[in-house]
Amino acid sequence: MVGSGDMHNLMPLQYGIVSYIDELAQAFLVTLELYFVGLVLGFIMGLTFAIMRQFGGRVLSRIATGYIEVIRGTPLITQVLLVYAIPVAINAAGIADLPLNWYFYYIDSQNRIAVTLNWPILASMLGLGINSAAYQAEYMRGGFASITSGQLRAASSIGMTRWQSIRYIILPQGLRRSIPAWSNEAAYLPKYTVVAIWVGVMEILNMSKTVIARTFLSVEMYLILAIIFFVFITAINKVLEITHSRTKIPGV
Amino acid sequence: MSIVLDVRDVWKSYGELQVLKGVTFSVGEKEVKVVFGPSGSGKSTLLRCINMLDPPDKGEVLLKGQSLMEDGVNLTMMRARIGMVFQQFNLFSHLKALDNVTIGPQRVLGLEREEAVDRAHVAIEQVQMTDWIDHYPAQLSGGQQQRIGIARALAMDPDVVLFDEPTSALDPELIGEVLQVMLDIAQAGTTMIVVTHEMGFARAVANEMLFIDDGIIVETGTPKHFFTAPENERVRQFLHRLEVLYGGQESVEQ
Repeated sequence: MVGSGDMHNLMPLQYGIVSYIDELAQAFLVTLELYFVGLVLGFIMGLTFAIMRQFGGRVLSRIATGYIEVIRGTPLITQVLLVYAIPVAINAAGIADLPLNWYFYYIDSQNRIAVTLNWPILASMLGLGINSAAYQAEYMRGGFASITSGQLRAASSIGMTRWQSIRYIILPQGLRRSIPAWSNEAAYLPKYTVVAIWVGVMEILNMSKTVIARTFLSVEMYLILAIIFFVFITAINKVLEITHSRTKIPGV
Repeated sequence: MSIVLDVRDVWKSYGELQVLKGVTFSVGEKEVKVVFGPSGSGKSTLLRCINMLDPPDKGEVLLKGQSLMEDGVNLTMMRARIGMVFQQFNLFSHLKALDNVTIGPQRVLGLEREEAVDRAHVAIEQVQMTDWIDHYPAQLSGGQQQRIGIARALAMDPDVVLFDEPTSALDPELIGEVLQVMLDIAQAGTTMIVVTHEMGFARAVANEMLFIDDGIIVETGTPKHFFTAPENERVRQFLHRLEVLYGGQESVEQ
């Protein structure tokens, strides 16, 4: 005989989706981590590549172009798998002994370990950032290219260096102008975080599948999943819309 | 009178097109030189060669005796001493009028914010735009934008200011206010090279006029010389065409 209390801990089939709210919330937190870190990393790298491509001269612009083409020409999932697998393979081959078995966690309300960061999560963040950078770079470059050359000549005429012109004239205007196009990337990326499932990250899709395995409520769970993403992405779009209108240059 | 700018045998081509074919002239302190001639004659190219936005193929440009074409010269700091006012104004559209003027003193000359603002206020006062300092370029008329463009150049306290057809993109009713500002700063002792077809302005303040055609200086002289007895046939034809265009009236009444 198996007691009902044990059943609750192992496989509480008698409960609905609602009873997994803590697990789903924890998994969504991981999804948010993947998203924000991926977006910010993609922004920093993307800005660097956009500047390199637009203003970097022959060598740097070719490097940036090559990066962007390779990333846009290969599947995101391949990139994430590679980022995850390369250090693992290095360890396996005995080339180095990279630390991959650490993790950060907190103890949830039911005394369980909730992992917030480990190698699979970090690898997914890096993969998403590396991928997003290529797309963000292209959106930003479009914004930079739209600044008239006259303003650059004016900047030169008062003695600004090339870098000062980029920093004080191009970036403030180009980044503003790239917000609408960039919003696409900001709205796509949350959906792409689910690729982390392939390196074993317990993010929201992975947890949803676990919940379905325990409750068999597949349609309900997937609908809830869709609604979660829809609400989140709608909120992001709203924030970006407000940002865009607040940063508008008066009169333009 | 000390020489501020010395232009010696400047040549410039774009691909096959030879735009400047050996231009030589100099500008003394507090002098105003007006450069005029048919479109495509090389006037704007000459200005861009002077401040090295488009470096000459050969020749020499000296600012107070210092070459701008020597190896190792700090071109950005030399450019900071040569103001430029553009036909299309080219204001920085994300900055208020005031900040269009402070950005040079602050970022290039390294002044503190307060110093840069003080300097900007003086320059903006000179172009009579004090009431508009908090406006963005897109909120200003063309004439107002150009006056801020002039203030931006003046705030750098340059040795010489180059004007590249400063009024030719303006609606007729806005030309007067810009010319008036240019007259004021000329009379205040600003060293200027002005590419313009505004003959009234030339007559009022030019120490010398240079007629450029086909990449060379065809004729030089005082305004009086040009308006009474120009020697070259091309000059006569050109002035005649301007007269027909503007109905024989000067655009600025003196």
